[in-house]
Amino acid sequence: MQRTVIPALLLLSVAPLAIAKQPAPRILGLHLGMPYAQAQSRLKEIGQFKSEDEGQQVWTLSHDQRYQYAIVGFDRSRQLRYITVLARPEGKPISYSDLGDLASATRSGGPGNLRYTWKAHDDIGGFEYVVIAKGKNNRYLDRYAVKRLDVEGEMEDRDH
Amino acid sequence: MSSHASSVTRATRFSLRSGIILALAACCLATLVFAATPSSSTLNPVNGSSATWAGNGIAGATTDETTCVDGTDCDVYTITLAGSPTNYKGLVLAISISHQVKLNDYDLYVHKGGLTGPVIASSTGGIPETGEAVVIDPTVSGTGVYTVHVVDSTVAPGDPYSGVATIVTPPSDSPAHGTAPTYANYQSPTGLGDNSGEPSIGANFNSGRIMTQAVFDTLQVTFNTNTSPATATWLLKDGPNTSITTLDPILFTDSHTGRTIVSQLFGTTSLSAFTDNDGETYSVSQGGGIASGVDHQTVGGGPFRLCTADQLLVTPVPCAQLAVRGPLTQYPNAVYYASQDIGDAEMALSQDGGLTYEEAHPMYTLVDCGGLHGHIKVSSSGIVYVPNKRCGSTQGLIVSMDNGLTFTVQPVTGSTPNSSDPSIGIGSKGRVYFGYVAGDGHPHITVSDDQGRSWHNDLDVGAPFSIRNTVFPEVVAGDNDRASFFFLGTPSAGDGTGADTGTPFNGVWHGYIATTYNGGKTWFTVDATPNDPVQLGVICTQGTTCPSGTRNLLDFNDLTVDKAGRVFAAYTDGCITAACIARGNNTTASHTRLDNDQATKATIIRQSTGLSLFKGQDATPLRP
Repeated sequence: MQRTVIPALLLLSVAPLAIAKQPAPRILGLHLGMPYAQAQSRLKEIGQFKSEDEGQQVWTLSHDQRYQYAIVGFDRSRQLRYITVLARPEGKPISYSDLGDLASATRSGGPGNLRYTWKAHDDIGGFEYVVIAKGKNNRYLDRYAVKRLDVEGEMEDRDH
Repeated sequence: MSSHASSVTRATRFSLRSGIILALAACCLATLVFAATPSSSTLNPVNGSSATWAGNGIAGATTDETTCVDGTDCDVYTITLAGSPTNYKGLVLAISISHQVKLNDYDLYVHKGGLTGPVIASSTGGIPETGEAVVIDPTVSGTGVYTVHVVDSTVAPGDPYSGVATIVTPPSDSPAHGTAPTYANYQSPTGLGDNSGEPSIGANFNSGRIMTQAVFDTLQVTFNTNTSPATATWLLKDGPNTSITTLDPILFTDSHTGRTIVSQLFGTTSLSAFTDNDGETYSVSQGGGIASGVDHQTVGGGPFRLCTADQLLVTPVPCAQLAVRGPLTQYPNAVYYASQDIGDAEMALSQDGGLTYEEAHPMYTLVDCGGLHGHIKVSSSGIVYVPNKRCGSTQGLIVSMDNGLTFTVQPVTGSTPNSSDPSIGIGSKGRVYFGYVAGDGHPHITVSDDQGRSWHNDLDVGAPFSIRNTVFPEVVAGDNDRASFFFLGTPSAGDGTGADTGTPFNGVWHGYIATTYNGGKTWFTVDATPNDPVQLGVICTQGTTCPSGTRNLLDFNDLTVDKAGRVFAAYTDGCITAACIARGNNTTASHTRLDNDQATKATIIRQSTGLSLFKGQDATPLRP
């Protein structure tokens, strides 16, 4: 009895020292808050421009084993506001847990429509951001996005 | 033990043998009783080549072609056209069916190829007609196999139909005949609806009232029909949480249940409430189902997609899966909330009448279509549609056949993208009318009878007025063959929807309503604001990048139909002073944004006369 209690107590005492892994505010070398020109330069390195709608751009990724597309949006000061990547259907699967500690995420939806949401703070940029991973599969994601929470889109349709 | 096993085996064999015999008997019976007789024919490219068949005794009731079960309440007849398309020059394939009892209603669909092929022609008239007919041009749609699908809309036993297919010379095209509808405008009283960009409108079939919302104001409008022309009473009926802040206002009325849902985009969701008494009291709802939904929300609803009893027998597993997403409360209909999200667009189902929503499901990503989309519409058989102005090189229609669980993107072939959101109306038997602004600025409408898989009769309905710039297409349908299409248009050429940074655009905009009574083959187009322009100068459709003074009307209008089939349009009037109106009516005056009032006044167009969108009301003509 005593032999099992002591290791357990040791584990409990160490647990608070471990920092839950938060997903980073960046994907594929693109980071939130990145200036437009810099983001374009990086996107050209990793893919080809596909289309643009309402100021949001779709890029086809050339060589990434995991992701097929990147979608980016900018804020009104033309800094990167969000990045969404779509998993390559036959590519290397990405687990939700690859992004961050699932225990610190909010899990919602259910089988066939699962999502994990992390809210985090970027100490360097000084902004709040959200990371959302979605997928039909319970283990592997179909897409994930990082998005700043404190800015509006470049062409976001705020009417009034 | 052995004896027992042996008896089980014998029983199993007997059971198997009996089952096989019964199944064969059922098959034979089905063939004998339910299938078209004969089941197929071949026609040659010769005038008069003909075939007949009989649809023996099928009976039943369906909502549309997607809810029938072959051999039970629909059947199939196959026609093969011999030769090549060029052999049919100057000839067409005419197919018709007829029956005896006026209280019965068969519908006729013709697919190219098998039943999964596109519907290239259909005839879905209702009671009391006793026949349906279509004409197909093989030089356009080709030779080979055509599948004739005859569906019981409402058919009692004992009234079998007979079918005829003939190669004939083509009938001459006829323009829309009859009398065009007329319309009257009702402006909101001073102090109400003064700031009314992008209005929504709905009709409560139970109370007969109209509900409309724009920016902060939710308005209940009652038309007094004891006088003619009718008078309107406008009352402010704001929701408890929808007049506080406004980013995108949306109202949706489920005409059949009488429930109106109001919504204001707010942060990552929307502030929303619903009322079952036209705004006298409200219940605050969850707001939406998209935790990070960022923009351009839409709310819609209608029947859940559930199996008929016949479908349940044939496909119990899919039917059970559909039923799981059926109603959870006494409120019978589905409510959907959709919005652009981060790189995609999503939709969430409410199974309790809009009180709460599930976790949203992705409809599409920006790889497929533009993020912003038009408004949700639901067919009588529960198919959910969301139109989109740009899906690759065409406009698109997003379709869900399972109560918002999964979606397919159907290109609207023949269309070209534009900056105004398209709109759809759905006929009572599922015909989809897709109204859109083409890439050249002209107002077009096209028709699909197979849930957007194929399109036909794409027409420029602005041609009678030489419309060259169009915004805010809005469509509503009634009976399957009847629909109305409302848009703002101007015959002036040039960039009438841009930022107007160069020489100011010179144009007078009016509200036009095009109406079809024959399934989209021909349309009456009417200037519904003939003496009172809606806007002078540009109507910018480039969102928040539009310069000041160019986007007073915001992003859309709306159109609905009441229980009598009378059409109502809600629009924002940007030109309301006597001076502006007079200038707009003076053909030699300047008509730029500098001449416009930049007003945002809530106004409703009400159909005064003409046939309504419900044929059953034809015996009671509309009064002004």
